[in-house]
Amino acid sequence: MGKRNKKVVKEEPLDLSKAEKILDKYEGVDGCLIPVLQQIQNAYGYLQEPAMNLVSERLNISVSEIIGVATFYAQFHLKPRGKHIIKVCCGTACHVKNSKNLSARIEKRFKIKKDETTEDKMFTFEEVPCVGACGIAPVVVFDKDVHGTLSPDKLDGVLDGYTK
Amino acid sequence: MINITIDNKLVSVPKGTNIFKAAKDNGIYIPGLCYHPKLTQYGGCRLCMVEVTERGRSRHRFSCAQPVAEGMVVKTNTPETEKYTKSVMEYLLAHHPLDCPTCDKSGECGLQEITHDLKLKPGRFKGARLDDPMRRDNPLLEYNSNRCILCSRCVKVCKEIAGVGAIDYQNRGFKTVVGTAFDKPLDCSFCGGCVSVCPTGSWQDRTLKFKARPWELKKTPTVCTYCAVGCSLVINTKDNEVMRVTADENINLGINESNLCVKGKFGHEFINSDKRVKTPLIKKGGKLRSASWDDALDHISKKFSEIIEKSGGNAIGGIGSEKCTNEDNYLFQKLCRTVLGTNYIDNISNMKSPSLNRLINNSVAYGMASTSLEGIENADTVFFVGADVSEAHPVAGSMVRKAIRVNKTKVIIANVRNVEFGCETKDLLRLNYKLGTQTALINAMIKVIVDEKLVNLKKAADKTENFSELRSFLRSSDLGIKKVSKATNIPEDSIRAAASSIAKAGNCYVICGKDIEEDPSGEETIEALMNLCALVNKGDSDKVSIVFSRQNNNSQGVNDMGVVPEFLPGYLDINDQENRAVVEESWDAKLPAVLKNSPGDIFDLAVKKKIKAIYVMGENPIVNYPNGKKVNDAFKKAEFVVVQDSFLTETAQLADVVLPSSTFAEKGGTFTNMVMTVQRLHKAIPQVGDSKPDWQIICNLAEKMGHEFDYTTSKDIVDEIGKSVPIYEGIEVNRLRRKGFHWILSLYYKTKAEKYQFEIARKKTSAKKGNTKYPFTLLTGSSLRHQGTYSRNSESLVSLASECFVEINRQDAKKAKIVDGDNVKIESAQGNIKLKAKTTGRVPEGAVFVSEDYEWVPVNNLRGDGYTNVKISKTK
Repeated sequence: MGKRNKKVVKEEPLDLSKAEKILDKYEGVDGCLIPVLQQIQNAYGYLQEPAMNLVSERLNISVSEIIGVATFYAQFHLKPRGKHIIKVCCGTACHVKNSKNLSARIEKRFKIKKDETTEDKMFTFEEVPCVGACGIAPVVVFDKDVHGTLSPDKLDGVLDGYTK
Repeated sequence: MINITIDNKLVSVPKGTNIFKAAKDNGIYIPGLCYHPKLTQYGGCRLCMVEVTERGRSRHRFSCAQPVAEGMVVKTNTPETEKYTKSVMEYLLAHHPLDCPTCDKSGECGLQEITHDLKLKPGRFKGARLDDPMRRDNPLLEYNSNRCILCSRCVKVCKEIAGVGAIDYQNRGFKTVVGTAFDKPLDCSFCGGCVSVCPTGSWQDRTLKFKARPWELKKTPTVCTYCAVGCSLVINTKDNEVMRVTADENINLGINESNLCVKGKFGHEFINSDKRVKTPLIKKGGKLRSASWDDALDHISKKFSEIIEKSGGNAIGGIGSEKCTNEDNYLFQKLCRTVLGTNYIDNISNMKSPSLNRLINNSVAYGMASTSLEGIENADTVFFVGADVSEAHPVAGSMVRKAIRVNKTKVIIANVRNVEFGCETKDLLRLNYKLGTQTALINAMIKVIVDEKLVNLKKAADKTENFSELRSFLRSSDLGIKKVSKATNIPEDSIRAAASSIAKAGNCYVICGKDIEEDPSGEETIEALMNLCALVNKGDSDKVSIVFSRQNNNSQGVNDMGVVPEFLPGYLDINDQENRAVVEESWDAKLPAVLKNSPGDIFDLAVKKKIKAIYVMGENPIVNYPNGKKVNDAFKKAEFVVVQDSFLTETAQLADVVLPSSTFAEKGGTFTNMVMTVQRLHKAIPQVGDSKPDWQIICNLAEKMGHEFDYTTSKDIVDEIGKSVPIYEGIEVNRLRRKGFHWILSLYYKTKAEKYQFEIARKKTSAKKGNTKYPFTLLTGSSLRHQGTYSRNSESLVSLASECFVEINRQDAKKAKIVDGDNVKIESAQGNIKLKAKTTGRVPEGAVFVSEDYEWVPVNNLRGDGYTNVKISKTK
């Protein structure tokens, strides 16, 4: 009742052929769950339910266990991620150098919070533990480019370079 | 055996046992919350630290993770271990909400008990506490992650015992909770295993919520009244009302290792249901009105006497019950035979598969019938033939899963449907045959064994008769593996692999299911199956045992007790003069004269008006009997119908007199499960309303009709059964208190197995095809969540499974443009029903599946005798 007016978003059915191919490679291999998940994430961007159901069926592992593994490791994502990933380092050195300000700037600029993605699916913002570049703290990693000794204003300049 | 010393006590335990279990089995207490003897070891709670001294060196070890070694000296309570355990508890409690006053677990909570034992003071840590909402996404179970200590017992029980794996740890670190994938509502078999093993108040039985505290509950051990596995369970009552059902805490008692299924665990509300018939009812002016016991019995006795006088005793037909106890059924047939003087007594299971009793008896005589169900746990190969174990006998499924875990058992499932079996069973071979080709499949397997000489054929030939005929039969007919593979639609390799697994493996169980037993060609298939078993057994050593699965808790007992037209109790041929003389003498009564023709189906005779009165005890044939039209006709034509039941079932509504009977919780007695283990019931609550146990009603009726049935308790009847039923000889009530009586086993002791004689199938069965008007074949079967009248009147089960679906293959559904949840009309030549659709890959193309256990869905109205063809169409 009352929920009837709720918009039903019709999702495109997921093309599972890529996942099938990955799973074919690992047919009968013990302990292959993590490499399978990694490759599926590479192929699809994140771990989607239909793909996980397929993995469960083919590897004889219950979906709950697969998701248990996926939620344990930070490398796996169950939500869609943007085309570009902005990681703000929150290690001790960066924290001392006020990386919080950088996070705040990103949140303000893209109107998203930590671990969220912009509506146009372009940017995902994440806070990560130490990236190992304490010498140039505070650090922001944009996809694979490392930018150090940033201030919020400097960061804006860096981001302008990517968004324009 | 390994000898170790625990706290100065010498104990000797089997190799591989861990210290925790060794201590517990010898009455030494070690605190611990994560280890459970029926689950694999995990070592997550860190509480069971002990001091172990080996070869002069003392170390601290977690007792659940340390196997015993010869000469070990263990101390469970040293200042160090106590200090350690206390600090671990302090950490556990730092996160625990300590909301014991509102927690139903309080009083039987492991965490609470250890806290109390250790005399813990308020902790030093004020850690952060989770503040997650309670998970209530289903009517039976709720999960409170705030109380959880992450011991993994529920996760393991779900995966290892129930074979579902619906839950697992999600997230990491402090945020770890037990949950489902993608946070979906819990969708599992609802066996309640998580509630029984949870050592805290995280998992709770919602049906008990705030109704009773654990210490107020009176516990009575008894036997489950649903399927034929015969699980031990404990009825928990408060003020003479059943509050909940739990499993026995001691996993060594009974046969089910404290495992239950959803019906056993949650299907108890019918006992105290408002819908129970509480007084006798007599039909007056087309309406059933309450009456006194005296009036009702007078009325029945008068009517029966009239009919007997006018048309003879054989004008009364008696239907015994697969739900009632052995004692009820024994007296029922005694009443029918001696007081009413009729030969026409029967039970629904015998009507569904008339040859089954004979075949089971043969399997016993040849010494291949299994003597215990728990034996499955030691099997190396389990072969399910037409058995849907996950739906029909869920706890037997758990036994197989245990076997897989312990012995790496090979499981072979031959079925028309792709039946469910555990999500993580890797070594599983499926033989999904086409309906009607099952006999050919079994014969092809025999042929593979013979052709490839997988067993010692010379030995087999020596120890059996007819072996050469079997060989020529295998040669002559079209049992070539290629042909069979094509007909059955099973790859040749699979048939070969199945045959060689059965021939090679050490210890093999063949479980024959209802899809075979109730199939029109059931007799041939079972004979072929027995040939297969005998070939392997005789050609090698006795290692294959066969189990015939039965549907209801006492489907075996009702037949054992002679509620069948052709057998006196204990399968004594009723036409044999010697048997008759012995029974007549022991009962001090006359048996009705031998019938000239074979007895035939009671309902057929009632339709022909040869049977004028029907007396039904604890059964609902209007819905249970496969041919709906016939049974409806029969009851309409009968002049006088007496129904003895706890509920006003469809059949009871047609009755002239309804007598209220007590349920299993209100009486003593015995049930016989599908491997002939006789187990004892215990009375948990007094009779509800004016109801009486069935045996008592029968005694009263006999008295009214001028016969003395002098039994004061059900124990008296067991004593008589022990004396007059040969297969039950030696049964003693007092010895049944905690252990079952295996009648096959006692028979095996007494008699030697007969020489096996191969039965050669004469008839040819061909694959079943639909016709153009009715293109689909109707398949029916058991349901996990329902079984007849009892589950229908258990609110929790109904709220869990309120809808019976028709399962349609995805491809067929696509063609007919049917999607999940559509209303579908299923029509056959006999009738039609409307159900919601569920598309699935489990049903083969060209077939639809409807469960027959939803009592309010009269599937039998669609069915005639034999296979039923139907058509389906979408409706509004």
